[in-house]
Amino acid sequence: MSSPSSNLSPLAAHNSGALILVVERNPVVQRLARYFLEQSGFDVEFATDGLAALARAREVRPRILFTEILVPKLDGLSLCRTIKSTPETKDILVVIFSHLQAGDRATEVGADAFLVKPIDEELLIETVKKLLGVRQHSVGMDFDG
Amino acid sequence: MAEKVLTGCAGLDEVLLGGIPENTITVLMGAPGTGKTILAEQLAFANATPEAPALYLTTLSEPLEKILVHGQSHSFYDVNKVGVSVFYEDLGIMLRDSGVEKLPEIVLELILARRPRFVFIDSFKALNELLTTPEKRRTVTYDLANVLSSYHCTSFLVGEYSQEMMTELPVFAIADVIVQLIKHSTNVREQRFLRIEKLRGSGSVPGLHAFSIKKDGIEVYPRLLTPPVTPLYAARVERVNTAVPGLDEMIAEGFWRGSTTLVAGPTGSGKTIIGLHFICEGVLKGEPGLYVGFQENPTQLGRIMAGLGWPPEKLMKEGFELMYRSPVEMQLDEVTSELFKRVREGKLKRVVIDALGDLERSSIDRERFSDFVYALSQWFAAENVTCMMNYELTNLFEIHGISDQEISNMSDNIVLLRFREGKKMERTLRIIKTRGSAHDNREHRLEITSKGVVINQVT
Repeated sequence: MSSPSSNLSPLAAHNSGALILVVERNPVVQRLARYFLEQSGFDVEFATDGLAALARAREVRPRILFTEILVPKLDGLSLCRTIKSTPETKDILVVIFSHLQAGDRATEVGADAFLVKPIDEELLIETVKKLLGVRQHSVGMDFDG
Repeated sequence: MAEKVLTGCAGLDEVLLGGIPENTITVLMGAPGTGKTILAEQLAFANATPEAPALYLTTLSEPLEKILVHGQSHSFYDVNKVGVSVFYEDLGIMLRDSGVEKLPEIVLELILARRPRFVFIDSFKALNELLTTPEKRRTVTYDLANVLSSYHCTSFLVGEYSQEMMTELPVFAIADVIVQLIKHSTNVREQRFLRIEKLRGSGSVPGLHAFSIKKDGIEVYPRLLTPPVTPLYAARVERVNTAVPGLDEMIAEGFWRGSTTLVAGPTGSGKTIIGLHFICEGVLKGEPGLYVGFQENPTQLGRIMAGLGWPPEKLMKEGFELMYRSPVEMQLDEVTSELFKRVREGKLKRVVIDALGDLERSSIDRERFSDFVYALSQWFAAENVTCMMNYELTNLFEIHGISDQEISNMSDNIVLLRFREGKKMERTLRIIKTRGSAHDNREHRLEITSKGVVINQVT
């Protein structure tokens, strides 16, 4: 499958450099997430299980971590709880996305947002922008330019 | 609860209790010529917008060119939407080069390119047939389902599947919704039916629902079900005068409002005139009435009415409604749907169905007809509409009862007409049954005069 990076949207330039780590084992969802996020100018990395995601998060400190609940080794909810309770990773924004209607459980473990699958491109990008916008604003930067 | 996608067909939405749940995979199945592609395109054109486009993928069943040409014969087909909100792609050509195994990947690429909210593959079965082993069929179907379920879209897989294939093919396992279209043919009639075989996460109206293919597309006539709450007969304390001289006196000044009366008799015994009497006199008293007729066409009926002193034009203005259907091409469910719609509008007070036998012949089976009569009589009671149903008996003289026990049991009242042989052939009327009411059970002479029917002295 061809990479869409040569066909970036006008928004892409503004978002360049924001790394998003996606924890997802379904290759189709990975493909869709990569396509939509990269089109909007974000850098995307993937992990296919919770433990690998935690290690990678500690290492690269992504701006946002998207995680499915049902991922091997460490489930998405536990991953979120661990990230939010660890000083070195607690500032990473966590979005939980799942076919399960688990918004309340996501809030309980400290997630910053919850999205219901299947992936809705508009909602995905809007959520990312909103999270980063709020984040940037709090440190005195206007992310949306 | 999942949002629902309207089908573009009000009757089908009613059967689906509001439409097809969003983000699901629907299999539209049926033999060739049942209307699958029309239904799929109707769905596509009803829902697609530039912001929420539809992607219609043709395969190896019908060439894209043919689908485009045939689609345009229906009014829902807006050519201005093609290439703007409805995108066609010939998947058959793409897969011929790459192999059918690549189907999920190619569909994913097309989804990324078009960002559709609705995806159609027509025919999916044709592609499946190119996969040589059950293992490959299962893998490709599973992978395709994964693609369609991972993206925010509602999908439709069209195929010439038969009932027997449902337990064998993997496509039925991944389907959230299965809509089966059926064509029922006899030597002289062709009727189409639709059934919801599966609907995950939602209810539907069970059973076979008739549909027809018209210029506007598919029109579904949901099967008539009995009202959710059983009507309370005890609460109906009002009598409805038939205005037939002599008849009301036999039944304590009329039938209960909301009751159903079966008027049975051989041809020429006066059923139609009693029915007209009931409706026309009701209209003249300010009670709008509907005459559902299958034998006399509007001209013939108008002539009979005028001859008996009920000018059709005047009565039409005052609330007389006529619903005529030719018994030759009539479909039970279509008539039911129209009749039911008019009853639910709440204006009608009286209905005559002339005659039940014509409706029975238009039904594909006896059980369906009985269910229809029962449901209809219950709805009449619920809506407070008083109904007279005519029923033709074959024997002219020796009639001691009505052989159709089921229909008799469903009726609140039964009036039996017959001929009596003598020097002069006489018509007679006898009340066999009035539910919850006393009646004169003697046989009376029935005369047809220039002013309608008159019931005379006991014979």
